[in-house]
Amino acid sequence: MRRAALGAGSALLLLWPFLVPRYFVFLTSLVVVNAIVAIGLNLLSGYTNQLSFGHAGFFAVGAYVAAVLTLRAPGVPVVATLVLAGLATALVGLALGIPCLRLEGLYLAMATLAFGFVVVEAIQNLDWLTRGNDGVAVPTAHLGPLALASDAAKYYLVLGVGALMVAAAVNITRTRTGRALLAIRESEIAAQASGVHLAAYRTLAFAVSAFYTGVAGGLFAFVVGFISPDAFDVFLSVDFVAMIIIGGLGSIPGSVVGAAVITLLYDWLAAFQNYRPLLFGLILIGCMLFMPGGIASRMPKWTQQAQ
Amino acid sequence: MTTTALVHVVVSGLATGSIYALVAISLVIIYNATRTLNFAQGEMLMISTFVGWSAHAALRLPLPLVLVVAVAAAAGLGWLVERLIIRHAIAATHFDVLIITLGLSLVLRAAAGLVWTHDEFPFPSFFGGRPVVLGPVRVAPVSLGIIGGSLGLMLALAALFRWTRLGRAMRAVAQNQRAARLMGVSVERVYSASWVLAAVVGAIAGVLIAPVIFLSSKMGLVAINGFTAAVLGGFGSLPGAVVGGMLLGVLENLAPLWLPAGIKHSVPFLLMIAILVLRPSGMLGRVRQRKV
Repeated sequence: MRRAALGAGSALLLLWPFLVPRYFVFLTSLVVVNAIVAIGLNLLSGYTNQLSFGHAGFFAVGAYVAAVLTLRAPGVPVVATLVLAGLATALVGLALGIPCLRLEGLYLAMATLAFGFVVVEAIQNLDWLTRGNDGVAVPTAHLGPLALASDAAKYYLVLGVGALMVAAAVNITRTRTGRALLAIRESEIAAQASGVHLAAYRTLAFAVSAFYTGVAGGLFAFVVGFISPDAFDVFLSVDFVAMIIIGGLGSIPGSVVGAAVITLLYDWLAAFQNYRPLLFGLILIGCMLFMPGGIASRMPKWTQQAQ
Repeated sequence: MTTTALVHVVVSGLATGSIYALVAISLVIIYNATRTLNFAQGEMLMISTFVGWSAHAALRLPLPLVLVVAVAAAAGLGWLVERLIIRHAIAATHFDVLIITLGLSLVLRAAAGLVWTHDEFPFPSFFGGRPVVLGPVRVAPVSLGIIGGSLGLMLALAALFRWTRLGRAMRAVAQNQRAARLMGVSVERVYSASWVLAAVVGAIAGVLIAPVIFLSSKMGLVAINGFTAAVLGGFGSLPGAVVGGMLLGVLENLAPLWLPAGIKHSVPFLLMIAILVLRPSGMLGRVRQRKV
């Protein structure tokens, strides 16, 4: 069942640009980008119980690193650009994560919220680098001789990177590190007693989460083609949190589904902008009251990764 | 910079600081009862202020009655939210309740936008426009009014916590919920009372600050500064909330004098990160020992 579904799903995703209109290809790219962020955020929140309201900040760092790098050094292949965007963001994540180690729950949520505001402010003020509020038009990405200009080409780039990131996340849970993270999720005290270095793994989770979000930010810059600081406000962080809450904390398939739900809702409700937060808020409250495990808790068993 | 100008800056800092302090107090009241942060505090403040403003616009009510309407609306809203939503999540983790109040803040802001649009409205002030002359210094009456009004409210709250049955019950629940219940305190009633009281304090803060920052669906963001103030003083401590609020207000007003203009808006956030990193328990907070 699992294999058949995986095979059919991959075939559909590969043929997608030939089956649907261009706009849906673009939309699917956005879903995948958001899914990468949701997985990254879930590695942090779902596994180590650290809630972040600052992932829009990481997302922005990744997007701006990729955009500025492509502007200043057009020769760098897109894969290298994305890795650099991820690494730069992971560094920022470490810089924020290490001092925040002593914080828990509410405090960490607020510290990351503050971080999100500071990033936007920084982008607005470093205009020699980021062009401030005017925003940056992101040049076309190049992969060797290929120029990734069309929606379909960008889609394949996003899909390839997304598949790698999902596979890595699924496999992380099978390594020593992944088992340590799972142990922390179940009980911090029991994990510590079993020799899991809590501080080290929490910091690692912060850095990995930031890496995922940074890579997704870089992809976002290429897919959308134009970035400006107002796209990365605190409400985007809230949307990311909504994705993993709706999808299911600590579940990778859940992250993907949650990202798809929020991204598509965003698109469908584009004409009703004033009602969108109303609906999102109601979904969040309803989810917490009636379905705390998110959609993942209602998905058939074979979709759950082995744990 | 002259002393006169400095006094002026400090006084207006104390005025904004009093508002931060009030918001911080309302956050701490709920935190002490239910151990959760109410992300929707700012939006509840904004809605009650809007209700008061509508009463003013529709019925031409005098200002003291506007305050009464806003406070009544806040009390009703706080009670409803606690009874209809938070009470059902009583067994949930703090994480879950945090997400619920986050959802609530989205809903309330969107609802306010639908009812009153997202524009900014001028709000009538209790205080005249002519500056008060104190020796060599001229001070805006709004600032003095805000400081005076907030201090009055804080004293009333201190009296409530110290001398009334409800206040004692709230302090007991904050210290140890189970022990309080064993002593015959109705913890549920304290929950309700805390939400109502926090909403009322928020509404008064909203009516006081609205003439200065304009009334809009975005004014709920003041809650973030309120949280910073509460953290600064040590989250959970009411005197800490007051000190933290005042300090934050003054620092925020003084910082642009020495720091580059670009980071003016980041001051509260940078300050919050710094405090959380250096002394997570704040200035007046106690370090909470965790039992295994």
